[in-house]
Amino acid sequence: MSTARAGSRWIRADLRARRGQALLTVLAVAGIVAALITAVTLLEDGTNPWRSLFAQTDGAHVWFYTKDSPQVALGGIDGVTQTAGPYRSAPVTVVQDGKKEPAALRAMPTTPPRVAHPVVAEGRWLDPAQSDGVVVERSFARALRLKLGDAFSIIALSGERHTLYVRGIADSAEQGFYPEWTPGLAWVLPATLDRIEPMLGRSEWVTGLRLADPDATQVVSQRVVVMLEDQLQRVYTWREVRAAMELDNRLLGTLLALFGVVGLVAAALALANAAGGRVLGQLRDLATLKSMGFTRGQLALLLLVEHGALGLLGVGVGTLAGWAVTVAVLGTTSVAPVPVLAIVGGTALTVLAAVGVPAWRGGRTPPIPGAPAAPPRGHLSRLARLGLLVRLPPALVLGTRDAFTRRLPAFLTAFGLAVPMMMITIGLGVWATLDNFLSHPEQVGQHASLYVRPGKLEAADAQRIAESDRAVQSVYAGTDVNALAPGAARSVRVRAIGSSADPYPFPVVEGRMYGQPGEAVAGQGLLNLLGARIGDRIRLTVGGSPLIVRIVGRTVEPDLDGEVLSVGLDSLAAKDSVPPEFYALALRQGADPGEVRDRLLATSGESLDVQRVVNPADRLSVIRVVIVALIAVLALIGLANLLTASALGLRDHAFDLAVLKAMGLTPRQVMATLVTGTGLLVVLGIVAGTAAGASVVTGLIDLQGYTSGVGAGIGRPPSVLTLIVAVLVAVGAALAVALIPARRAARAQVPVTSR
Amino acid sequence: MSVIKTVNLVKIYSDGAVPVPAVRGVDLQVEPGEFVAIMGPSGSGKSTLVHMLGGLDTRTSGEIWLDEKRVDTLSESAWALLRRKKVGFVFQFFNLVANMTVADNVELPALLAGASPRDARERRQSLLGALNLTERADAAPGQLSGGEQQRVALARALANQPSVLLADEPTGNLDSRNTRDVLRLLSDVHKDGQTIVMVTHDARVAALADRLVSLFDGAIVDDGRIARRRTGTAGEVIDLR
Repeated sequence: MSTARAGSRWIRADLRARRGQALLTVLAVAGIVAALITAVTLLEDGTNPWRSLFAQTDGAHVWFYTKDSPQVALGGIDGVTQTAGPYRSAPVTVVQDGKKEPAALRAMPTTPPRVAHPVVAEGRWLDPAQSDGVVVERSFARALRLKLGDAFSIIALSGERHTLYVRGIADSAEQGFYPEWTPGLAWVLPATLDRIEPMLGRSEWVTGLRLADPDATQVVSQRVVVMLEDQLQRVYTWREVRAAMELDNRLLGTLLALFGVVGLVAAALALANAAGGRVLGQLRDLATLKSMGFTRGQLALLLLVEHGALGLLGVGVGTLAGWAVTVAVLGTTSVAPVPVLAIVGGTALTVLAAVGVPAWRGGRTPPIPGAPAAPPRGHLSRLARLGLLVRLPPALVLGTRDAFTRRLPAFLTAFGLAVPMMMITIGLGVWATLDNFLSHPEQVGQHASLYVRPGKLEAADAQRIAESDRAVQSVYAGTDVNALAPGAARSVRVRAIGSSADPYPFPVVEGRMYGQPGEAVAGQGLLNLLGARIGDRIRLTVGGSPLIVRIVGRTVEPDLDGEVLSVGLDSLAAKDSVPPEFYALALRQGADPGEVRDRLLATSGESLDVQRVVNPADRLSVIRVVIVALIAVLALIGLANLLTASALGLRDHAFDLAVLKAMGLTPRQVMATLVTGTGLLVVLGIVAGTAAGASVVTGLIDLQGYTSGVGAGIGRPPSVLTLIVAVLVAVGAALAVALIPARRAARAQVPVTSR
Repeated sequence: MSVIKTVNLVKIYSDGAVPVPAVRGVDLQVEPGEFVAIMGPSGSGKSTLVHMLGGLDTRTSGEIWLDEKRVDTLSESAWALLRRKKVGFVFQFFNLVANMTVADNVELPALLAGASPRDARERRQSLLGALNLTERADAAPGQLSGGEQQRVALARALANQPSVLLADEPTGNLDSRNTRDVLRLLSDVHKDGQTIVMVTHDARVAALADRLVSLFDGAIVDDGRIARRRTGTAGEVIDLR
């Protein structure tokens, strides 16, 4: 108790004496912890809306589409507990505010089924008394800005227009959110669907299976494929729905986690450096405390509490900040307690371990305060002597000698700056990669910037209008079809575009472009899914007819997690490829896609459906905010290290200053000596960190590309100019920070005796 | 009954290649209320001796008795706990804790010895009052003159009314006026019955003590009582035992 009282006096006094440094420590640790907590919340499934939607709707694990109502006993498959449907579903086009959106109109009874029942969020479920009622899936309703009671205009395949009224808006775990997942979903009563689409041949049947064990999904969907054979149109499972709802959380989470983990190492290092430097600077005070009656253990504990408390405060602040960020961005439901507790515990332990060693060393201070702790005496190396001989400025030579007097702290300083600088370089690389997406969309498979669908017009007219526009360089006819991959027992996207002889310029990063019918290129995600490699021949089923192609190359594929196979239109059977579903328009250099879109709409009398391509960088723009925030935190860590190094350098050389002045060095030269001593380590650390960062950044981004399915080949290092500017800014800021105490020290009257 | 007793105390520094004997077989006995000055040239082992008496340094062999208890066998931690109540230290370079105010510096040992914050404050006020430092209580040590700093250090050392006050060259870093002030204080507390062991190499400072112990090469070469009434010459001052 008595020791605690006396100790708290000491801690209070010491913290008061170094408020700035203490604040820096707290902020740096807090930033890292906040990043880690945000990362883990983003990576944790709890943030994925799929989980709660699936639970609320008692969702089905496997969904498949057939031409007719399936006649086989699907409920009898091992592991299937309940079935949903089959429901009839008809493709329609929704017209809203002049825009046309593809939708699937689903027949569902008045009483929602027990499995995979949509949960009404607003309004009511379908009522036979109002046969013109429709319930719209929530994300679709939001994209179309539909409210309860709004008119819902649809065009059936026959071209007939119908107007329904929105009676309800509901959530479903059956498919991903619109517009990432198309077509949009809307439910009507069976009688209403019969009226809108009387032709059974134009509709499909949708069946959902709920399984006892979600892990059995693969086996069950295989059985479905075998049992239904030709009837089957496409299959997908809860995994694809979950992945679709996940969006970019995973990428962001990975980025934050990478920065957070490395940042934690850097922060721990900075903390250890700061505590160690402080202890070195206080050896005499610590010895005095011992002479007054502090034991070795009490002194170590005292230091651990003081320096650890700062770190722990940082952990606390960071936890609150991280929690606030996740709640603000993702909503209250999404904070996962276990990983957050693990992070809090882990970072707290890291912090205590980081300050534990300096605290232990401080406790071992000999109790005779009279003996000043002299730095190990370095002597001029041969290099330094040579430097003096060739008349290098003495400040430079002396500063260089000073920099390496204490080997370990010198290394820790350089390393402590190199790690944040490396991460900053990686951040700049991510930035450069996003910039590259924007400036060279063709390198991420977006050679075409507009997609034109014929709409009301004939395909040939649409093509003619598109080709006649002066800003259009080339027009590629194309069709997207779903294909069943037998091994994977699920559907994949086949994108047929251009012809094999005149292929759409996909960014092929491995292998070669296809050159004849029967050849294809694939995204990394597809290769992973099918376990295929370049050169393999694969067999898919498109609407009952087989599609056998050889994969000759890999493209960068930002869509659908890279699970896309791209072929020439002539590789598909004529029934699937004629007429083309859309035309991809590559514009001339400098043309504005927005203007071209307006012009095409005007020329066609609003009959064409023209869509602009969304650049992945636009979708990922939040990453830039994250990078800026992380760079700020990393700069704080670097600054903390720098202050420690600067303080330690001053302390070690306070005695020398008087001697140097006595020898005839001007205050300016003394200052230069001090700044060189720290500055050399700063330059070493920053240059090493930048070099390390620049050498790994492309690989890291490509690794992320590989795992996310986009594929390697997207990573871009920051430009040489950016790097030079970053290094100069970092070194300049560091020298400016080192200059202030050096200037003060050089001007001060230094007593020779007292130390 | 003696406050301090050493029996054949030896200290040999063996950090370097050659063992360096600093103290070789010192037998010293300090009675309660005595003011002992230890003199000797540089390197005679006087600081080492006084550090060993306070447990700041370990002995190589021999015995140390403090208040009739053998203490040379104590661990570093046990020494620390013992120092809280029984030993006060004053050093040449004052060694005030730089970040703490004068008041905190003086209260720290009292708090450490288990006094309540209120008792510690009262004791500090009376000590600083006695040393004429009341108005400097909230100053940082760096704002004080050398003499003032040493007076604060003295107040700190006396905060727990220790059995013995060990002073290592307390005036070594002071000018003559401040030296006089500090010596007067030492003399005052000695009059109140405080046992003092002081290391110095200044004969004028040593003259204040009751007893003068001369060390040379780590051994006692002379141990004499100083006559109370001082006159001019050394021959009359020292009467050999």
